[in-house]
Amino acid sequence: MGYIGDKDKEYLKGEFDKYLKEKVMLLVFTGDNCQYCNVATALGQEVAELHDAIEFHEYPVNGEEAKKYGVEHAPTVVITDGDKYGGRIRYVGLPSGYEFSSMIEDIIDVSRRTAEVSDEVKMQLQMIDKPVRIQVFVTPTCPYCPRAVRTAHRFAILNENIIGEMVEAMEFPEWANKWNVMSVPHILINEDVQFIGAYPDEQYIKYVVEAWKKMK
Amino acid sequence: MSIGFVLPSASRENKEVDVAIIGAGPAGLSAGIYAIRAGMSAIIIDKGNAGGLAEEAPFVENYLGFEGIEGEKLAKLFKEHAMKYVEISERNEVRDIIMENGKFVLKAEKGEYTAKAIIFATGTTHKTIGVPGEKELFGKGVSYCVTCDGYFYRGKRVAVIGGGNSGAIAAIYLKDLGVEPVVLEYMPTYMCEKAYQDIIKEKGIKYITNAMVTEIAGENKVEKVVYKDRTSGEIKEEKVDGVFIYVGLIPISELAKKIGVDTDNRGYIKVSPKMRTNVPMVYAAGDVTGIAGQIIIAAGQGAMAALTAYEDLMLR
Repeated sequence: MGYIGDKDKEYLKGEFDKYLKEKVMLLVFTGDNCQYCNVATALGQEVAELHDAIEFHEYPVNGEEAKKYGVEHAPTVVITDGDKYGGRIRYVGLPSGYEFSSMIEDIIDVSRRTAEVSDEVKMQLQMIDKPVRIQVFVTPTCPYCPRAVRTAHRFAILNENIIGEMVEAMEFPEWANKWNVMSVPHILINEDVQFIGAYPDEQYIKYVVEAWKKMK
Repeated sequence: MSIGFVLPSASRENKEVDVAIIGAGPAGLSAGIYAIRAGMSAIIIDKGNAGGLAEEAPFVENYLGFEGIEGEKLAKLFKEHAMKYVEISERNEVRDIIMENGKFVLKAEKGEYTAKAIIFATGTTHKTIGVPGEKELFGKGVSYCVTCDGYFYRGKRVAVIGGGNSGAIAAIYLKDLGVEPVVLEYMPTYMCEKAYQDIIKEKGIKYITNAMVTEIAGENKVEKVVYKDRTSGEIKEEKVDGVFIYVGLIPISELAKKIGVDTDNRGYIKVSPKMRTNVPMVYAAGDVTGIAGQIIIAAGQGAMAALTAYEDLMLR
């Protein structure tokens, strides 16, 4: 038996038929001593099987492909076109619970090769001309977290200097501890600017711009 | 950790509908089902996920037909049921509402929606307690969501401020996660249902009454909660690593107020027994009406609001 129920599969298929346009790659990076790697692989496969536009690959976390996509942890799930999005839209840890919906939405946006933000936010995003890494610490039972993850990922879709990385705090407790993560979503930009909460785009972008300005 | 899957739903087109429902909690989802079944067109728009605050309830034991179910699971069932009928646009915040040619135009993040009627099912959000340390230590031990942050305190001791149903459920959930909670309640008696009182006693959770919290203290992270014992007047403290605050809710009614909807002095939308507000073709349902803060009542109100909208729109 798979992880995704038949009813859910049927629904997802319908959504993919409606919205998927161009090819999307769903890459799962796995390694040894990794509790949820098998689940991540199976889940990736099950999702990819739902539509022809989704291509699934599994790669070792210590291999060439991982280097190419900038992946260092297992499991990591990358949603990409294989080209301009590189490994910038990613999930470190299993995208389960509420984050499963984020992953599906990412697949749709990556396939559409765009994401929605307001004109005001778009203008601010255009300023970002240096690499900015947005990490969003989450727990799978946090209903507010997908919004923060999706904002990071939408920004990454719209600006090639931005990396949007979800980090599952339960799977990577030491990482979460390092940044004193005690409430999620906890957003960390360039390992410098931090905030907590699922803010609207207009506030979120201010923190991103702040982190970017500090690089100058 | 759970390996459950929450499905997304995300409308991207502008739409013209009979009824726009703002908020996809139990009230909004129920309104959506009733609206479509009655024969109207409808859309539900939510700034976050479908499910509303019900999603955060660790456990629900008083919804008819379910002896006990996680709030997250119940919300998922609600959503999947509603999705069979009505389009739900998640992570799509309605920013403004204007009137144009006798219709409402909802300006949202993902598009514009024109509607003949609106149902506000916008719900509530957590109330802050307003003591020193609460703001400063937010995210450093102060939290408002046990399902989100409970994990971080496994093996540690935390205070739950507020001993009503939400606080009681939070404490029970924390205890089950392996956290040691202590409940601080302002009133002289248990403020939660008898059913929760029994579990609290059975699980040996400390429940302190007559406790007026005056400060959350700590250097860079929560270290203790200071409170005044209202019987003796004595200042006491509990050493804890975290504080979960469950002291009540505040209604999300700003947008409704903006289009002239009357609220009471706490901001809850005033409704008639049939869920009409003072503004024609505008209805409200669920926690934003301040009636009971119960999932089953919200769902009932949502149904009522949709039926009344149908009556006003179609039968006139």
